[in-house]
Amino acid sequence: MSQIELRNICKKFENKRILHHVNLLVQEGEMISLLGPSGCGKTTTLKIIAGLMEPDAGDILFNDTSILNIPVEKRGAIIVFQDYLLFPHLTVEENIEFGLKMAKVKKSKRREKVREMIDLVQLEGHEKKYPKELSGGQKQRVAIARALAIEPKVLLLDEPFSNLDTRLREIMREFICDIQRKFKITMILVTHDKEEALMTSSKIAVMLDGEIKQFGTPKEIYERPVSSLVADFFGEKNYVDGEIKEGIFYSIMGSFQTGLHKNGRVRAMIRPEEIEITPKGNIAGIIKNKTYAGEKIYYIIDCNGKRLKCITNGKTFYNIGEKINVYINFDNIVFFER
Amino acid sequence: MYNKLKPYIMLTPVLAVISSVFISGLVMGFLQSLGHFSVIGMKQFTFKYYKEVFMDRGFLESLKFSLYISFVSSVTAVIAGALLAYSILQNKHNKGIEQLLYKLPVIVPHSVAALLAYNMLAQSGIASRILYHMGIINAQTDFPSLVFDKNGAGILFAYLWKEIPFVAMVVYAIWRNMNDQLSEAALNLGANKRQVFWHVLLPLAMPTIASTFIIIFAFSFGAFEIPYLLGPTAPKTLPVKAYIEYTNPDLTHRPYTMAINMILTLISLFLLWLYNKAFQLISKYNHESRT
Repeated sequence: MSQIELRNICKKFENKRILHHVNLLVQEGEMISLLGPSGCGKTTTLKIIAGLMEPDAGDILFNDTSILNIPVEKRGAIIVFQDYLLFPHLTVEENIEFGLKMAKVKKSKRREKVREMIDLVQLEGHEKKYPKELSGGQKQRVAIARALAIEPKVLLLDEPFSNLDTRLREIMREFICDIQRKFKITMILVTHDKEEALMTSSKIAVMLDGEIKQFGTPKEIYERPVSSLVADFFGEKNYVDGEIKEGIFYSIMGSFQTGLHKNGRVRAMIRPEEIEITPKGNIAGIIKNKTYAGEKIYYIIDCNGKRLKCITNGKTFYNIGEKINVYINFDNIVFFER
Repeated sequence: MYNKLKPYIMLTPVLAVISSVFISGLVMGFLQSLGHFSVIGMKQFTFKYYKEVFMDRGFLESLKFSLYISFVSSVTAVIAGALLAYSILQNKHNKGIEQLLYKLPVIVPHSVAALLAYNMLAQSGIASRILYHMGIINAQTDFPSLVFDKNGAGILFAYLWKEIPFVAMVVYAIWRNMNDQLSEAALNLGANKRQVFWHVLLPLAMPTIASTFIIIFAFSFGAFEIPYLLGPTAPKTLPVKAYIEYTNPDLTHRPYTMAINMILTLISLFLLWLYNKAFQLISKYNHESRT
């Protein structure tokens, strides 16, 4: 297992900037997520780490040693591809032993390792099947077994759950986390699914437009995003412009005490789930719209001319046009400077 | 049910014309090969013409020569064609003229290929003149007789000139359409470029290569014009022999000709069966990885 460090990685395709000074440090045995929308450069980053692409500038270090000159086949950074990329002409066991065969490992050892991997990914009875005879989840398991069989220094997972249905996605997510815990393998998970990133990783690197905008624990990223761009990636937010003077936030909705000791023009980020509809609320409002979604109800509330999105747990119902009070704890609100 | 049959019903008129010509020709040929040729009063069914054919040393020589030409040209063409396809695949930056050049021989008719081979390889041809002017040979007659020779060098040259690009074109199309990432996945798993070729690209293209081999083998086995134009006086390839026998003014000779044709047909049917087997192998993989 290796510690991985990316230093100022840059990459352009036909003058289009794909990666711009990407810096990242993944500790040995850690599982992090590279989270961002499609086309932000996540897969390119993985390919550069694996050696399938060369960066235009910057360096990659495994355990403090540059690996830029090490060719892809010797780098030991194995990608589990989004489309699995199992070899269609090989059976499950032949796919799993592929890397070992290429490394000219003895047949007896290969067989032993394949057996071990088949047990690990619970594919007993499927050894002789071809990829087209497997379900999505089984293909995924074969791809993971094939990667693990060669004992990689780092495992790179490129949107591994995107082709699976919701239930299978949860099972495979848990399965990968188990493997990571069991082997203490350094893993980078590329995903555009915020929940996936929050649930699986010890740290998340939020990537937008080829740059890592924030790198931190899921809690830090979720609760203290460094910008509205990062915040927006984790779902819809309410933004209220205003000004802070001596700890008081002045806005169209009113003035509220905050825990801040700075002055200046700010934009308050209020998550819909942080707005509580309660008679003891500190802001008066009127329900303007309501959307029922089973366990949740989405409301649009007009608070002194500012429309706020609010999510409740669905136990209490409010009607459109009803006058209510909402409570927002401005001590917990994130303020961005304007 | 009607919807299933509808396309066949609609195609019936044209299929009826085509199949009646084909089937009646085949049946007539078969009957004649059995000695039934009522036009000249031969009405007895017999296998004696088949026996005669197999006892005829000339026929066996022709069969051997035809198999030799087809086998050597097909094997060489698939190996060279696959290597050419791989080199084109590796050279990703080639565009335009290079991409077009290797396809040119495919569209040139076989008779023109025969003319080219003659102009190049005959003792009075371009190759001998160049070697003579370079002083490598003392006279044009010193140039080895590659056209009309007993080893079929001229025929092989013409076939290879046509078939290598054909194989390259087919195999290249398979590799180009195959997901590039399969090679990347193999490299990522520790394979070097040579291993990627032997363990991924070649096996995946193998069913296609096999069916291409059968196509060109069947073609060169049954083709007439190139062996007729460039082949030796003896031995002749089977189609040439069959043609010469067919044009024999002695009509009592016709059953013998038809027996040769029936043997050619049987071999072609066997190749068709092999082709189907190769096709089944292709669908076995069912390239889900092609994008």
